[in-house]
Amino acid sequence: MSRFLVRRIFGALIVMFAVATLVFIMLRLVPGDPIAAMLYDAGDPDAVDEIRTKLGLDRPMYVQYGKWLWNAVQGDFGRSIYGSRVEVSRLLMEALPRTLSLASLSFIIAMVIAVPAGLIAATRRNSRADYAVTFVAFLGLSMPDFWLAILLIIAFAANLHWLPAIGYVPLAKGFWPWLSHLILPALAVGTAFSAIVARMIRSSMLEVLNTEYMRVARSKGLSERTLIMTHALPNALIPVVTVIGIAFALLMSGTVVVENVFAIKGLGRLLIQGILNRDYPVVQGTILVVSAIFVFSNLLVDVLYSIIDPRIRLQS
Amino acid sequence: MSIKTLDGLTLIERAELERELASAYDFDSKDPLFGLSKHDMSGPHMSRRSILRLMAAAGTLTATNMIPMAAGFNDSEAVSGGTLTCGWAGVGQIVTLDPAQINQVVQFQIMSNVLSGLMHINPDLVGEGDLAESWEIDSSGTDYLFTLRSGVTFHNGDKFDADDVLFTYNRSKDSTKSIHSRVLANVNDVEKVNDLQVRFKLDKPQASFLTKTLERSSGRAMTIVCRGALESMGESQYGLTPVGTGPFKIIEHQLGQGVEMDKFADYYDPERPKLDKVIIKPISDAEPLAAAIESGDIQLIGGNPIAAELVDRFVANPDLVVDEVAGPGFQSIWINPWHEHMKVSDFNKPVSELMKEKGFMVRLAFAKAMDRDRYLKQAQFGRGTPAHGTINPAMGFYFDETLAETSNQKFDVTEAQRLMAAAGYPGGEGFPTLKLTTTPSGRREATVVADIFKRNLGVKIQIEAKEWSVNVEEFDTMKWDLRRSGSGGDFDPDDGIVDWMQTESKFNGRNRDKSIYPFGYFSDKEADELIAEQSTEADLEKRRALVRKVDKITSDKVASIFLFHPANILVHHISVNFPKQSRIPGLVDLDRVTIS
Repeated sequence: MSRFLVRRIFGALIVMFAVATLVFIMLRLVPGDPIAAMLYDAGDPDAVDEIRTKLGLDRPMYVQYGKWLWNAVQGDFGRSIYGSRVEVSRLLMEALPRTLSLASLSFIIAMVIAVPAGLIAATRRNSRADYAVTFVAFLGLSMPDFWLAILLIIAFAANLHWLPAIGYVPLAKGFWPWLSHLILPALAVGTAFSAIVARMIRSSMLEVLNTEYMRVARSKGLSERTLIMTHALPNALIPVVTVIGIAFALLMSGTVVVENVFAIKGLGRLLIQGILNRDYPVVQGTILVVSAIFVFSNLLVDVLYSIIDPRIRLQS
Repeated sequence: MSIKTLDGLTLIERAELERELASAYDFDSKDPLFGLSKHDMSGPHMSRRSILRLMAAAGTLTATNMIPMAAGFNDSEAVSGGTLTCGWAGVGQIVTLDPAQINQVVQFQIMSNVLSGLMHINPDLVGEGDLAESWEIDSSGTDYLFTLRSGVTFHNGDKFDADDVLFTYNRSKDSTKSIHSRVLANVNDVEKVNDLQVRFKLDKPQASFLTKTLERSSGRAMTIVCRGALESMGESQYGLTPVGTGPFKIIEHQLGQGVEMDKFADYYDPERPKLDKVIIKPISDAEPLAAAIESGDIQLIGGNPIAAELVDRFVANPDLVVDEVAGPGFQSIWINPWHEHMKVSDFNKPVSELMKEKGFMVRLAFAKAMDRDRYLKQAQFGRGTPAHGTINPAMGFYFDETLAETSNQKFDVTEAQRLMAAAGYPGGEGFPTLKLTTTPSGRREATVVADIFKRNLGVKIQIEAKEWSVNVEEFDTMKWDLRRSGSGGDFDPDDGIVDWMQTESKFNGRNRDKSIYPFGYFSDKEADELIAEQSTEADLEKRRALVRKVDKITSDKVASIFLFHPANILVHHISVNFPKQSRIPGLVDLDRVTIS
């Protein structure tokens, strides 16, 4: 197991390095000058050059890259080149809990909806319940999350005044303030996510339920509950876990639209604003963290595989 | 709901306004003090007459801003205390509050509540001492001696004195530390006389010195920063949570989440601020902003102009107050004179000569085909004023209302179509598809522009929405066909004509390849000379004549297709008493605001 983990971690680090390098180069190749945009109103070409020199952006790309990489491996991602030149690590540390909160709650909502819905749809195939779950799942998949987000705001914030429309409150300031600010965005994100997972569980369960060992188990007279929960579900979860792993990683960086609607500055929004401003250190630092989340989510999925199905570990 | 406009004035108020405006301009043009005596110009308070003259000379005299506000305010129910939560529109984060780095209105609107300047424009648009208690000016108009308020402290407890003024000056004039170093170009020297007195020496008289350069918000170069806090916090943290002497102190600032400010109990005016706490949340999208104020999550909207499509919705909401006044600035469609089909390589000819060139015919056809009323109705939901030049209604005295009728750009579809045909493109046939560059948020209104040109000239326009950094880079290097942009602006004519209409204007293709493009989007010797002349002209009548002449030339020669002048709109809940004393277009001063 430990060799398996070491090998995967090593592979993950190589992927992160490749991603970071690629992003560093691509950022500098795309058009858009961050300093000119920042000083647009000042209109002083000399100041543009002075600030470019001060930030080291006038140096050859390989020098900039070497310096950035050397600092990055020591945990220093540099400073934002925009505004107050805040440390990128600070920006990441502020954004990460917001995104983690939103992603986790979205994940919980999605699972609470998806697992029973998927099981009901699979075990009662072609029944009204199955059709209902399938219809709602397609509805959830078809609805853009930002549109659902706005509907939720209008319904629960503007009209009913039950929940706040925008913003984020850290958990440290109280559980309910934290939760109340996250319910609507998590619902907007989680609904679409639950639709995907519910469909996956349904199809995976159907496949497992039609296998020979399930027929044998059923012929042994096992209860339906034991059949589903002990024999079918663990086997059906393997492909589902893959999807969940990738989707959770996507949630950690891909909720930018919903973050925008609810004015929550998470990792996605940090990344997008960094790209729009051509804020190189912010983009590079955020991408590095996001890629780490992706590769380690996948690593976690692999570990979960081996727990759910020990044969996978033996084969590897 | 209530709306304040010029119509809200009583006859007496109108008469008073007209009398003051009339008397503001009758002085000796040779006088470097702009017709005012040393006594008139010295503080602690200046008379309304003096300020009107200074502001007129500085271009900050704006009839609509001087209006004793008519309706919509409810001072009688004002009580101190409470928390006001504001939404800052159209912005995802407040990247800095360090005056040296501020380049957006959304930032200095907050800064104005936290830091102070030597001067600040007061409720009646009278520039009065902020940290300056009084001041004296010598007869040359170049030597200003300021006496500072005593007993003022910064939010961290540091005492404010003359060294802070010098420190701020030295920091601001350093272009590596401040992006506003150019604002101080006319300041020759600043010296400390004693702990509570500083002397500014100017190279030449400057009408806008008190009301702009030293103004705490719009000036930014001399917004007083705290030496001790900068040293202990570092520039980066100071930019997030600056320490000043203003009415509110920043408690917390999380980038992208907002700014939390508490009342500064030791503010030099014990009557202010009224509120205990202010929370400012940046909200970039329009619908969430609307939902937030409708649900009561926020009670006031500051920041960028509110999305035009929301204003009528707010007006219809009985719980909200919508306060609309003329705002400064102009918005245009810029035409690249180096584009093959719109080429004008030399504007230094009479219009009659230019009219013989196909490129100019096309430019003029576009300008004449622009149905500004239709544009305003569809793109701006009827808010704003049709523009035919840079000088706008918010510049009051300088604005030429007749330009709409006399300009070459006057809307005339028949003539526009005739010009296109004369240029060889009847009904737009044979004319290439043009690219109209805008920002992603400008796509909707750019679509309206494209539709008008298609409808009136048969010309196809392809909209290219590009991120700001790319947009700016292309504009600066002249890599565009048509571009939708303009100036947010302040109240001085220089904002339009110096910044945009001179050959050496800072936006006029500043990074272009000069071997290919001898000038940027426009260049006219006569306009250049007139603009230079008006900048140093102390006689207001003469300056106005020069400004209007420039406006006419640039309009007739189609320096750009002038589109509209924006309205300034403030929206807040009826429970918020936003007093007339604080209603300065562009600013959101909260020190007098209360909640009933």
